[in-house]
Amino acid sequence: MVSVAPHHEERPPRWSDRRVGILLGALVCGVLVVIAGMLVVVLHRAWPSFQHNGLAWFGPGGDVDEQIRQISLSGQSGTKDSDFTWTFHAWPLIWSTILITGGAVVIAFVTSLFVAVFAVEFAPPRMRAVLDPLIRLLASVPSVVYGLIGVLVITPFIGNHLISEGQKASVAFQIPLTGFSLLAAVLILTVMIAPLMIAIFSEGLRSVPQTWLEGSLALGVNRWRTFWKIAVRTARPALVAGTVLATARALGEAVMLAMVSGSVGFAPNPLDGLLFFVEPSRPLAATIISNSEDLSNPPMSSTLFAIASVLLVSAALLSLAGHLAKQPMKKYGVRS
Amino acid sequence: MKPRTLAALAVTATLAVVPSQASAAKAKKVTLIGSGSVAAQPYFLSLFKAYRTEHPNVRFVYTANGGNVGVKDVQQGKSQFAGQARTPLPSDAGTTYVKGFLDGMVVATNPANKLTSIGLPQLKDIYSGVATNWSSVAGSGLTSTISAFGRDSNGGQYQFFNTAVLGGAAPASRVTPFLSDGLVANAVAKDQAAIGYHGLAWVTKKERVLKINGIAPSAKTIGNQTYPLTRFIFFVLPTTNPNKNVQKFVDWVRTSAAAGKVLTKSGAVPAFNKKK
Repeated sequence: MVSVAPHHEERPPRWSDRRVGILLGALVCGVLVVIAGMLVVVLHRAWPSFQHNGLAWFGPGGDVDEQIRQISLSGQSGTKDSDFTWTFHAWPLIWSTILITGGAVVIAFVTSLFVAVFAVEFAPPRMRAVLDPLIRLLASVPSVVYGLIGVLVITPFIGNHLISEGQKASVAFQIPLTGFSLLAAVLILTVMIAPLMIAIFSEGLRSVPQTWLEGSLALGVNRWRTFWKIAVRTARPALVAGTVLATARALGEAVMLAMVSGSVGFAPNPLDGLLFFVEPSRPLAATIISNSEDLSNPPMSSTLFAIASVLLVSAALLSLAGHLAKQPMKKYGVRS
Repeated sequence: MKPRTLAALAVTATLAVVPSQASAAKAKKVTLIGSGSVAAQPYFLSLFKAYRTEHPNVRFVYTANGGNVGVKDVQQGKSQFAGQARTPLPSDAGTTYVKGFLDGMVVATNPANKLTSIGLPQLKDIYSGVATNWSSVAGSGLTSTISAFGRDSNGGQYQFFNTAVLGGAAPASRVTPFLSDGLVANAVAKDQAAIGYHGLAWVTKKERVLKINGIAPSAKTIGNQTYPLTRFIFFVLPTTNPNKNVQKFVDWVRTSAAAGKVLTKSGAVPAFNKKK
């Protein structure tokens, strides 16, 4: 009697480890190539704008909206490189990006940290059962929705109740004070990025080994002190990671900010006192959105790509800074 | 059970499809490619839809990339037609502008404002930053600082307003630009000191539409072009060898009563269409 071995035992498994390794590796390499290609394209198209302006590109000088207009006009009427206007000083846009992103990240960081500590350590289990899914839901709401809430509720409130008639009149010849302002942008952006931070902070706090906390509690240290001194310290890499992710999202936010920031190429001046908070501005990403129709216009497209490359490089630097900041914390930190 | 249900479904589907296929087979399937004006896009979309019910074999692809770009697309042969909201320029060589229908721009204030009519020079003063307070506009009944709202440079209405009201200049820096006509209408409704401009289709009850030089915007005044802020939406075709199917569509838009109804419904004003 010859026994026939079952067919499948002879054949090597279709998805052998080796094959899977090669396939996934190729896929990842493909993604890396796409990213590198994107970088090259963006920088290549951005180059003329940087070349004509030099470092002054990043500096202040003149009315940036008027410069954008001249660039756009020169591209519509001209055909060759020498016809085009290139002068572009992006400082008001960069300053607006720094103010809005910075403000939102600072406020969101402080509130998110306390909310995460509460949610992980102090919230009653029933409340936690509601809080966790809610935060995840909020983190995935599209930014346009926040923008709509902004134009329907926040900006009219600021415009009608927080700005006095005298203040409006005092700057009437230069900028509008209508509620579309730095304050509105920072507030809504904070609400937008905080859930992301809370979610990541909570994950980090939860992964702190329970025994470490129990050791401290056993010594008679109270819960708040234990959690603050041990859990929060240990979870620092997670705090950095959450902040970096949230900052990156804030940097790239365009539609919502174009809707509520006032969309004026003006650099809000801290010396204006309280007025500073209600002054309009327009960050870099929103500038790309508001001029996207001009993408086929050579000098304008180059200027927009230059803005995009600044955002891209800042996001990369941010990621790198986050990585470096995490290194010294790793010794006792939890992975994140 | 499952395969049987599927088979039954397949049979019904084939039965349902066969007659329509038979009628569609007479006319060859056609795709018309267009690009251009963003302001005209909502009108175009309703026109495409209505045209397809009469000619199911025709498909449309329209990219709203701005009128100027659309004309360039036609010049380079990338598009078979373009939508354009401004009159021809010397740089549009090689293209033919065909008047399609009329579009009116509305200037509106918050209902708290008592103003009923405004002149173009006054409007120019407001948007160029000369007049900043309602007290300098007679009849408004307000003494507050004017909140002037407009479109960002992406909007077809922006170009139209600058040409028709500001004499080609850009608005002052105190004018707040918005991403869309709808957002302008919303902002005007929310701010008592506001004034804004947008397309006729976006008028809401929460704002007061102004007469311009004493003439109120309506289908009638825009249709006979007595309302000052009236413009044609043009179809731009290549001068040599325009696509026959595009010409057929443009003729339908210009002349048919059906297209006229669609235009009225979507907020534009038919210019040449038969009444019935």
